[in-house]
Amino acid sequence: MFIESWNDLRFRLRALFRRDDVERELSDELRFHIEREAEKLERRGMSREAAVRAAAIAFGGVDRFKEDSRDARGVTWLEHVSQDVKYALRGMRVRPGFTAVVVATLGLGVGVNAAMFSVVDRVLFRAPRYLIDPGSVNRVYYAFTNAQGQRTFERALEYKRYQDFARTSRAITQAAAFGYRSMAVGDGEAAQARVVAIASATYFDFFSARPVLGRFYTAQEDSLPAGAGVTVIGYGFWQTEYAGARDVLGKSIRIGTRLYTIIGVAPPGFEGASDGRAPIAFMPLTTFAASVAPDFYRDYGWSWLDVIVRRKPGVRPTDASADLTNAYGQSWEGERNTSGDVPPADVSRPEVKVGPLQLARGPMAGPEVKVLAWIGGVALVVLLIACANVANLLLARALRRRRELAVRRAIGGTRARLVQQLLTEMAVLAVFGTVAGLVGAQLAAKTFQKMLVAAAGDWPVVSDARTIVFAIALTGATAILAGILPALDAGRGDLAGSLKAGTREDGYRHSRSRSMLLVTQTALSVVLLVGAGLFVRSLQAVRALHLGYDVDRIAYVEASMRGVRLPKERRLALANDLVNTARAVPGVENATLLVSVPFYSSEGRSLHVAGIDSVRRLGRFMLQAGSPDYFATVGTRILRGRGFTSQDRADAPRIAVVSQSMANVLWPNQDPLGKCFRISSDTMPCTNVVGVAENTKSRELSGAGDFTYYLPMAQYTASFDPPMLAMFVRVGGRPGDFSAPLRTRLQQLMPSPAVLRALPLQEIVDPQMQAWTTGAKMFFAFGALALALAGVGLYAVMAFAVAQRNREIGVRIALGAESRDVVRLVVGEGVRVTVAGVIVGVALATAGAGRIAALLFHESAYDPTVYLTVVGTLLAVGILASAIPASRAARVDPNVALRDE
Amino acid sequence: MADDKLDLPQGTLDLLILKALSLGPMHGWAISERIHDVSRETLQIPQGSLYPALHRLERRGWIRAEWGASDNNRKAKYYELTKVGRKQLATEADDWARLTAAVALVLRMD
Repeated sequence: MFIESWNDLRFRLRALFRRDDVERELSDELRFHIEREAEKLERRGMSREAAVRAAAIAFGGVDRFKEDSRDARGVTWLEHVSQDVKYALRGMRVRPGFTAVVVATLGLGVGVNAAMFSVVDRVLFRAPRYLIDPGSVNRVYYAFTNAQGQRTFERALEYKRYQDFARTSRAITQAAAFGYRSMAVGDGEAAQARVVAIASATYFDFFSARPVLGRFYTAQEDSLPAGAGVTVIGYGFWQTEYAGARDVLGKSIRIGTRLYTIIGVAPPGFEGASDGRAPIAFMPLTTFAASVAPDFYRDYGWSWLDVIVRRKPGVRPTDASADLTNAYGQSWEGERNTSGDVPPADVSRPEVKVGPLQLARGPMAGPEVKVLAWIGGVALVVLLIACANVANLLLARALRRRRELAVRRAIGGTRARLVQQLLTEMAVLAVFGTVAGLVGAQLAAKTFQKMLVAAAGDWPVVSDARTIVFAIALTGATAILAGILPALDAGRGDLAGSLKAGTREDGYRHSRSRSMLLVTQTALSVVLLVGAGLFVRSLQAVRALHLGYDVDRIAYVEASMRGVRLPKERRLALANDLVNTARAVPGVENATLLVSVPFYSSEGRSLHVAGIDSVRRLGRFMLQAGSPDYFATVGTRILRGRGFTSQDRADAPRIAVVSQSMANVLWPNQDPLGKCFRISSDTMPCTNVVGVAENTKSRELSGAGDFTYYLPMAQYTASFDPPMLAMFVRVGGRPGDFSAPLRTRLQQLMPSPAVLRALPLQEIVDPQMQAWTTGAKMFFAFGALALALAGVGLYAVMAFAVAQRNREIGVRIALGAESRDVVRLVVGEGVRVTVAGVIVGVALATAGAGRIAALLFHESAYDPTVYLTVVGTLLAVGILASAIPASRAARVDPNVALRDE
Repeated sequence: MADDKLDLPQGTLDLLILKALSLGPMHGWAISERIHDVSRETLQIPQGSLYPALHRLERRGWIRAEWGASDNNRKAKYYELTKVGRKQLATEADDWARLTAAVALVLRMD
């Protein structure tokens, strides 16, 4: 059996590659046979000529035998394909313009999708590199019903909880806890914020990665109460910062608040289970945790870790979830026994759910993921439009080649053979298009990826196997989709008529296929542009949102103490120095200290109000404290009463300013001024409301505004904590321009090795709008692309049609038609197709609008402005695309046209 | 030429060719002649089937081809049985014998 196949293969290869030799041999062999037969007949008495003739006739048609022999050789199909490919290449050389348009169109469609795939695959599907058996690894999410009766999934766990799970769970074989943080790496001025992975020693057991230098840290170095000061640096970091020097082991590096000794270098591409950010170093969990809070492992106060687990073989995710829920229940009870603040388990119903490793697929996936998925779909729609375009172009070309194809059929070519040839031509074009597309995608990849996933690394397109496979599959589908209609079309038709008519068209075939394709293109473009319009309007709404503070005039300054501990008075003095120095910087209008930063960090204490038994149930109340100039600096208006003054010192009566929303919820229908509430505990002295401020948005963009109460900084530091060394600085210009001067001036005040950083507040708030910004940009880009493709497609078809109908138009003009009538004839057809497409497109858009509504912001999915604009745009494009060829048609000289053969 | 030529099913043709070659290497025309003679002129292999069959057998590795000089010193392509081909011949001959015996039995049944 095996020998047979081997022989078979050798035979076929010889037949394929030494074709000429084989053919010659066959001719010789057959000729020999006929010779011998002729000799035989001659010996029987025939004359030489008669014998030869008889022998030849007895043998039959030599060519047919050759054909049969060839078929028996079994390489016909391959030979046909190589013939077709050569023919296709020659055809492409003859018509460079046509080829260029088709290749460019396909390249656009495939390239755009390849670039999208490189992002979508990594966000949604691809398992982290080096991960052993990804199917058995899960990320742990948990939920419980909180004081407000809400229940949402979270993933930040406490260290003690992680240990409880690892100890009591019976469904898992491995567990690891980790967190990725941006920390100050390096010393002094050269210190930079970099992403660092803090991970338990068990983290490395999940991966097959082996260090290229040194070793990974062990469980002994990741032990309680504090781990060893060691670190494993990433490969890229090793190359760029240490030039790949092999003596890096043993060197020290300052990360965050302390020094670490380098004990190993990770292999290239190893990022752990990150969310796309590549860490420059890995450090033991316990080391970092102990440096922040020495008794982090004793209670459940600090929720900061991601946990991944590996299920035992045969355990399904639902089983693992149930088992871990059990473990959670036990841990919950344990927590209740030590801390009285925890409600009973049957009220809170703590539960664990194990989810996929990719954050984008778990229960906490944000709207960015939905947007990403939608944009992936949009890219496919663009490909469809490109396909329709190409199909139309091929149809038009097939029309021109009618005569050639008819001749081939007349001399015996089967329809199947013809279809095969046309599909091969399409495939060759598609291959060129794909190559062009991949190259383009690689060039555009970086921009794309940065836009879609803020944390994206440099994800390659051309050198990535999965992307290439995807592109090839897409090419195959495209070739079939775009090529099948013209190919089938070509095999049909009246043979005799085609042969006689030739290229000069005697009848303009109102091809249904062509119109359908144009309508499809237009409809899809409408859908995309409507999506784009809706997203752009959403973005405008988000941008125009009144946040309650002047984001575009504020710079945020933050100190990273890096382990330096100051006594309270020293800290207060430093804080005041910073504010005063900041105010003295030229161009700065004002500055204030703070304790909460919108969308970044917030403070809060329990509140007690007379007549309300649980303020907590009403929602989350954010605490902000500020210098006397706080409201003027930040731009939050005082609606009633007053803001802070310099009289509100530590020894003065406790006062506060509350937000309008807070006043409405705590004292509905009453005057909040003069009302009293107690902060932190029931026995604290009353804090009196002296003013009402406008609502601000600090936690989410939608909604009315968060409950916020403001305390004078002097009173806050007296009752609670020393001030945060952070400020808002109001500038008379662009905050970005002030980052450097502020940093330089203020850094001088800081004790070494503490560092300061200054950035515009906009940079903190912008990521909140990321989803809509991205959606708007990408939808708009693709919508414009779709429009261009559809417009060009329509133009090409109209132009071709006009060329085909040259004679007919010549006749009309000769018979007295005005140029106006000719223009109307051509444009009319273009408009008809466009209108049909627009109607279908609007219908599709309204049908699907409901599903996109959830992604929009303060924008109806049926916004008439958007729809009307899109309809208008497409009609304009349709008219333009038809008008240009039409004007050319009107200038046809009937003499020339009629004589044109 | 005999008029009562029998039509050969394809598998049988392979068998005949293999058998003809079992006696020694031959070129295509010789094979055709040999079968014609040995069958007492009953079997005339249609030329259109002979060469495709030979190429098919060659492809399957049961026969091997070589160019040599014919008896009148002309270049001809000679075929010979391979070891695998010899085994195949034995199998097929055996199958044929059993088939014909069975058919004969059925036909004799009254």
